This record gives sequence, C-alpha cells and structure tokens, in this order.
Amino acid sequence: MANLSGFVKRLRDIMRNDAGINGDAQRIEQIAWMLFLKVYDQKERDWEWDDENYVSIIPDECRWANWAHDDRTGRAMTGDRLLDFVNNTLFPTLKKLPVDASMPIKKAIVQTTFADANNYMKDGVLLRQVINVIDDLDLSDYEESHAFAEIYESILKELQSAGSAGEFYTPRAVTEFMAKMIDPKIGERMADFACGTGGFITSWLKELKKKVVTTDDDAEYSRSIYGIEKKQFPYMLCITNMLLHDLDVPQVFHDNSLLKDVLDYTDDDRFDVILMNPPYGGSEKADVKNHFPADLASSETADLFMSVIMYRLKRNGRAAVILPDGFLFGTDNAKINIKKKLLSEYNLHTVIRMPGSVFSPYTSITTNILFFDRTGPTEKTWFYRLDMPEGYKHFSKTKPMKLEHFAPALEWWNDRRPLEKDGFDKAKCFTAKQLSEELGYNFDQCGFPHEEEEILSPVDLIRRYEEERASLNAEIDRVLEEIKAKLGVKEL
Amino acid sequence: MTPQELKNSILQLAIQGKLVEQRPEEGTAEELYRQIQAEKQALIKAGKIKKEKPLPEITEDEKPFDIPESWKWVRLGSVFCLEMGQSPDGSSVSETANGIEFHQGKVFFGKKYLEQSPQKTSAPTKIVEPNSVLLCVRAPVGKVNIATRKICIGRGLCSVFPITGMSADFVYYLLATFETTFIRQATGTTFVAITGEVVKNQPIPLPPLSEQKRIVAKIEELLPLIDRYEKAWSRLEDFNKRFPGDMQRSILQMAIRGKLVEQRPEEGTGEELYRQIQKEKQALIKSGKIKKEKPLPEITEDEIPFDIPDSWKWVRWGELSQSIQYGFSAPARQNGRIKMVRISDIQDGSVAWDTVPYCEIAENDIDTYLLQPNDILFARTGGTVGKSYLVQEVPEEAIYAGYLIRTRYSSLLDPEYLKCFMGSQLYWNQLRNGTIATAQPNCNGKTLAKMILPLPPLAEQKRIVVKLEELLPLCERLK
Repeated sequence: MANLSGFVKRLRDIMRNDAGINGDAQRIEQIAWMLFLKVYDQKERDWEWDDENYVSIIPDECRWANWAHDDRTGRAMTGDRLLDFVNNTLFPTLKKLPVDASMPIKKAIVQTTFADANNYMKDGVLLRQVINVIDDLDLSDYEESHAFAEIYESILKELQSAGSAGEFYTPRAVTEFMAKMIDPKIGERMADFACGTGGFITSWLKELKKKVVTTDDDAEYSRSIYGIEKKQFPYMLCITNMLLHDLDVPQVFHDNSLLKDVLDYTDDDRFDVILMNPPYGGSEKADVKNHFPADLASSETADLFMSVIMYRLKRNGRAAVILPDGFLFGTDNAKINIKKKLLSEYNLHTVIRMPGSVFSPYTSITTNILFFDRTGPTEKTWFYRLDMPEGYKHFSKTKPMKLEHFAPALEWWNDRRPLEKDGFDKAKCFTAKQLSEELGYNFDQCGFPHEEEEILSPVDLIRRYEEERASLNAEIDRVLEEIKAKLGVKEL
Repeated sequence: MTPQELKNSILQLAIQGKLVEQRPEEGTAEELYRQIQAEKQALIKAGKIKKEKPLPEITEDEKPFDIPESWKWVRLGSVFCLEMGQSPDGSSVSETANGIEFHQGKVFFGKKYLEQSPQKTSAPTKIVEPNSVLLCVRAPVGKVNIATRKICIGRGLCSVFPITGMSADFVYYLLATFETTFIRQATGTTFVAITGEVVKNQPIPLPPLSEQKRIVAKIEELLPLIDRYEKAWSRLEDFNKRFPGDMQRSILQMAIRGKLVEQRPEEGTGEELYRQIQKEKQALIKSGKIKKEKPLPEITEDEIPFDIPDSWKWVRWGELSQSIQYGFSAPARQNGRIKMVRISDIQDGSVAWDTVPYCEIAENDIDTYLLQPNDILFARTGGTVGKSYLVQEVPEEAIYAGYLIRTRYSSLLDPEYLKCFMGSQLYWNQLRNGTIATAQPNCNGKTLAKMILPLPPLAEQKRIVVKLEELLPLCERLK
C-alpha cells in the first residue's frame, strides 16, 4: 500500500515549482483531471473483468494505463514529449469523444468531465513526477481505495480556503448533520440540484449504507442519488468522488438546474429527499427568470433554487436546505411570495441558525439550515440557534467545524423546548400565523446577538447591504401603494 | 421623503378638501358656521363664555389656497372657544399642592394626548374642559395636544375648545397643519411667542361637520401606514449611514488578511522578511543604536483571530519595532528651545504646525525625542487613546509630548501598510484586550509591544497600499 499520508503534500511540493499553476484552485483542478483518469482507469479494469465485451470509449493511446503508467524502463513519456501529448492529443481527443443520448452514463462521463478541463502545468518533467505519484495509488485494493476516498475529501476541503472556489464546497460536518437528520431510507431517491463536489450525496450515501442489508438494498443504494452541477470544475470533482464511492453509474449531470420551466416538472422529476446548499449571489442571465412564475422570479439564485426545490419535492417528501440570513430577513416581493408558498404548501418545521465562521475563510456570512417537508401546510416552526462550541472563538482552517459540534442541536431535536441564553432567545416556536401576519415573513428569529460584529468581506457586505436595501425599499413601496390606494385617485 | 414630510403632505391634502370627496347631502360649512354662531350666542347668554368682538371679514389675500365650494374660510376665534392661559400665583404651584393639574407649556405633551403633569395648583386661574385642544403659544410655538381631563393652563398655552358637535381630533389635525404659519408670526427675542390676537384671527378652512368626521377617519386610517413607512425609512437611513464606514472597515480587514491582492511567490515570504528585520535589529543592538529587549512570548494558537496566507507570518510589534518610546514631559510654552507636538495638535490625521507650542529641554535629551518622517505616534491617554498617526513630514525640528508614544521600525516595512493595520479591527480589539467594543482602549508600551499583526513580504505590502489608495476614496464617495 502506497504511503497515502504524504500524498497531498508530495503533489503540492512538486507543483509549487511549475509556473503554470497559479494558486490553490488551479492546483486542485490540475490534480482533479489526473485523478479522474486514474480512478476511471481502475473502474474500467473492473468493468472489463465483469464483461468480456466491454469496450472503452477512450481510444487506446489515451487510456491512462498506456500513456501515464511508468514501468520504470525509461520508455514512459516525459518532458516536452509528454506535454505535447497531453495538450495536443489527450485533451483534444477526450473533449471530442462522440457522445449521444443512447450512450451509457459510465462512458459518457469521460467527455462531459473533460469538456472544459484544463492542463495548467507547463513543465513536462514535473508533470511526469505528479503523474507517477498519482499512478502509485493502488485503487484495486479495497482498503487503499477507501482510505483514498478520505484523502480525496481532504483535497476537496482545501477548496474552502482557495478563494472563490470555496463556493463548491460545503463543510462535511454540516452535510453529515443534515443527512443524519433527514434519515435516509432504502428505496428513497435524493437530489442535489447544485451538487458542487458532491458533499450531500456522499453524506447521504454514508448514512444510507448503514441500512443496507440485502443485495436488493444495495441496488437501491446505488440508484438513490441524483445531482446537477453547472460548473465544469466541481462537476469533475464530483464525478471522481462518485467513482471513488463505488457509484459506477453516477446520476450526476453537467447542466444548469435553473433553465427548465418549473411548471413543466412532473412527478417523474420529483424526489423523496432534497439536500442542498444553493449558491447565493450567483450570476445568471436575466432570462433565467422566465422559467419561473412571475411572483416567484428573483435575481437572487438562492431564491430561484428554493422554487426549484419546492416544485421538485415529492408529496410527503422532505428537504434540508442551507440558506443565508438574507433569505430569512429579506422581505422583497419575490422572497415574501416564496416564503408564503413555503408556509402555506409545505411544513417548515425547523430552522437551525449556524454561527458565522462555518464556511470560513471562503465567507463569514451567517447561514441557516431550513428543514421542511411536503406533508401539509406549516402549523408551527421551531427556531434553534447553534452557538459556537466551548473554547472556539471561530472556526478556521486549523480548527474546522466537526459533526460533534452539532451535538447540542441533536439533543434538543427530539426534546424541543424554548431556550434562552443571556437574555436572548436561543430556541423558540412560532406559529405560521405569527410568522406571516405578526412578523411579516421575517424569519430572522433566535439569531446571534451581535456583540462583536464579524467583519464581512466587501462582497458579502455589499450583498447584505443590497438585500437590506431591497427589503426596506420593497416595504416602503408596499406602504406607499397602500397609502395611494386609500387616497383613491387623488395625487400626493 | 422623510416620514414627517409624508405626514404633512397628507394633512395638507386633508385641509384643502382633497383627502375625501365632498357630499352635497352633508350640507355646507356656511350652515355649520351659522349654527356655531347661534350656539355661541346661547353660551354668552348663559354666561358660559364672554361676549366677543366680531372679527373682520377675511380678504382674498388672506386665503392661502383654494377650498371646495361647500367649505368656508373662517377665523379661528369665530368658530371655536379660545382661552389664553394665565399663570397662577407661583406659590400655589407645586407637586404636593392640593388642587388641579397644571400645565405651563408642552413639557408633558404626548404624541397626541396630554400626559400627566405632576404639577398642581391650588389657585387655578384658567381652567379648561376635557376635550380641549391645547396650542403652544410660547416656544416651541405651534405644538398641539388634546387634553382629556380638566386642567389649569399657564401663559404658554392657549386652549381651543370645539363646539357644535365638532371633534377635538379634527381641531388637533387642523391646527397641526398651521404650525409653521404660527411660527412665522411669532415675535419677541427672549421669549418668542404668538399673541392671542394672532391665534384668534388666524384664517382656517372649515368643512361641513360630517365631512370633518370623514376626514379624521381617513387620516387615522393612514397613520399606521405612515408609522410603517417611518420604521422602514429610519432603518434604511441607519443602514445608509453605517454602510460607508462598514465598507471601509471591511476593506482594511481584507487587506490585512491577505485577500486584497494575490500572493506572488517570487516576492518571498513574511518569514524571510522577519528574519531580515531581526538581523537588522541585532546589528543595531550591537552597535549600541537601540536597546536590547526581553524576548516576547511565542504567539499561541488562541491569540490568532483568523487565517492568513501561507506566505505571511504572524508577528508581535515588539519584534518588528526598533523602539517604543514615551514622549517628553514638559510644560508647553509660547517660546522655547524646540517645538513639541502634543495629542491635541494632531487633527484629522495631520499636525497643525502653527498651533504646536515650544518647550524647554536639555540639549542632549533632544536626540531621544526628535521626530522623523515615518515615525508612528500613539495617543496613550485622553479621549483619543489608541489613535495613531504616521509622521509624514517634519517642517521644523520637533519632539513629541509625554502622552504620546513613538515607535520606530525597519525601513523594510511599508509605513502605509502599518497605518492600515493601525486602523483595523484587529488593532483596536487588541487595545481593548478582547473585551467588549465599548471598553476603554489600553494603550501603553507593553500592549503595543505585545500586539500581533500579520506580516506579508515587503513587495506585497506595497501592492496592498496601492490597492487601498484606489479603493478607500471610493468609500468616501459612498458617504
């Protein structure tokens, strides 16, 4: 078994010397396509073993085993020759692989994964060194491949500190908590319509695995996930993640979930469970809004995703979604309508408020987990604030959030009672009527008392300011409309 | 549009007859006017009110705006019962007096209804009935309130009592629209006031009785909406006020967290810079130019508030600085050996050299306290304790006073980057020792030396400064 513990460090040390790699995000992207090919190569061997008639979609000279593997006889490509091969043969070939609708997913993913991939490295000798480190992995060994899945997770975690690439990654403590509370069952299908690196999918699988007993169960297990990811880089990371988790036919698609008319969804498009952390402040073309009913159309992507989730949740299905404070306190027209729909057609039973540094250093905005199901309208909603654990001033790269930090919330979950801390509400129940009529759909309850104002990054600050300004302006507009109505046709 | 402007606008609409429609079946104001006069005659006959001189006709010039046909311009005194207040004998007024509640002015005015005054008088002069509307005739002129109980009023107030079925609410809203008009007519220098004559003669528009009631109802329908407007508007105002400052703080924070500009490996690391600075310090200590100091404790995990780029390094100020020195204590003089800069001479980030006084000082002490460009001064006490100032130029020889601390440091550090740090939340938090934001900052040599800051390579410091110079002026424009 290769020495896995130094794997990431060795790669980092080699790649640091290549002028083409600028920053952590590019380094991870570079590792990603090579890992994908290595993992895929291992999978293909398994498939060839099971099926004599298996034919790879990858032409022979581009298969990892043929161009990447170094048998140490000196024949393996290196230096300029290797670079030339990768840039002028490998990539163009894989990008242009013929794929049609009838092609099985496990073959099609090669092309979809490579469609927008990039080779950043400029030094062929260093590239050879990196390839060898990766090739040393023995993924045919169950132990090693299992252990590597963990290493892979640690590579993904580095995204959280890699600038804007952090948007694809949700800390696993959070995904695991949400998967645990959603309580997967054999036979159910879950979806994540902005799956990023596949965190919710893997956490769901981890929870569901505990319930697998028979081979039929196993088959259901493998069919239980569905993901959509718009961006190339995380899509590639997610596919590799799926392969590492033994999902040979990952139902994960490279697509934009917001481009289909929500009113066109049928029961076939609906899922028993939805787990998501939708992107906020995303940039979409203005006509994306055309796919939504006018009263729900918003420029905020998180709002649009909430609508997609509501339209794609099966009757009696359940969902857990991470949303920023802006959604909770926002009262612009779209948000009010979305929240109205949420309370009147769905049962929003729990809102967990998380502390600010959960996603640090990517962002320090405060986020919340909304748990709801489609069993009927909301009668009451419990709010619970998860405080920073003892001894932590904030989470950071060296002191990340762990699943055990959710223990107080877990304990409270099954024995819900109102709580107060230092004079501020920590857990409280509100009826749907209170939330709608008295509080005007402002769900910002049991929030964090702002003793030490966390300084937001300028982008987050601007976003929050724009949210507040939009909400207040919307409120002002509403009042003025009512005033105008009461004045009749008179002019102010 | 401020909430007050909105409210005024609606009230103005009301008294111009444009808030609710006119209904011919409700009669005219002319009819109401005659009924009022008849009731007044009856009251005079019954000795309830004094006989009044008839008031002059209202001329066209006196009518400030058009009113509906069914309304009538009248003088205030002719349709209501006015009573100017009179102050009772001083000795009869106290909180324990056995008598009637007494109001001199608007001290106990509520939003609309009069609140309880603790003052009572045993010898009341002018008593007003419940349901009177009180108008302030002394500054602040024009404020109105409704009295719901019998009270005694002093010279500062005038009571306007509605009869013939008119309501106090209507009078209240009506008079509110004349506040500025009354203020304009106020005279006097020490005591700005309006006279009873002014109040009596004030032309006001009179609607028919039922229409008055409909106007009041409409206004009260709109008031809660105006409140909602005010709530949202005030919060928006607050946000707009806070935003530029928040933006500035956010940008400074980004800068010292290494997120403002990208890291470039060819520029080296904070660790390398740190070692160069230590070497420099050792050389200076050896040659006797600076004092050797006790080593500072290692920076612990707990002290570190946030992650910084791998190429940076957390350091203590004491490790970077060549000296941290308290100022020279001497009395300020008009003339003397040398200029001495005090905390009070530093305004808005620069020294007002013409206010800087002189002082006396021994010749061989001067060198220790002499100011040089790039020195950084800190106020160690007073209202601005903790505030720092980067010395940019010293037009004439000067030293610094006792309540300032001066720190000098290697030329391998960018002074503007340091200035950025001194403006950051990290700096202020450390001065307050991590206590709550309103605690007094504690600025002395020890706290300064212990203070931790993130150290980027020098070239990156310079790039950060350039970026800040681009961004910070934009924040100014937000204000």
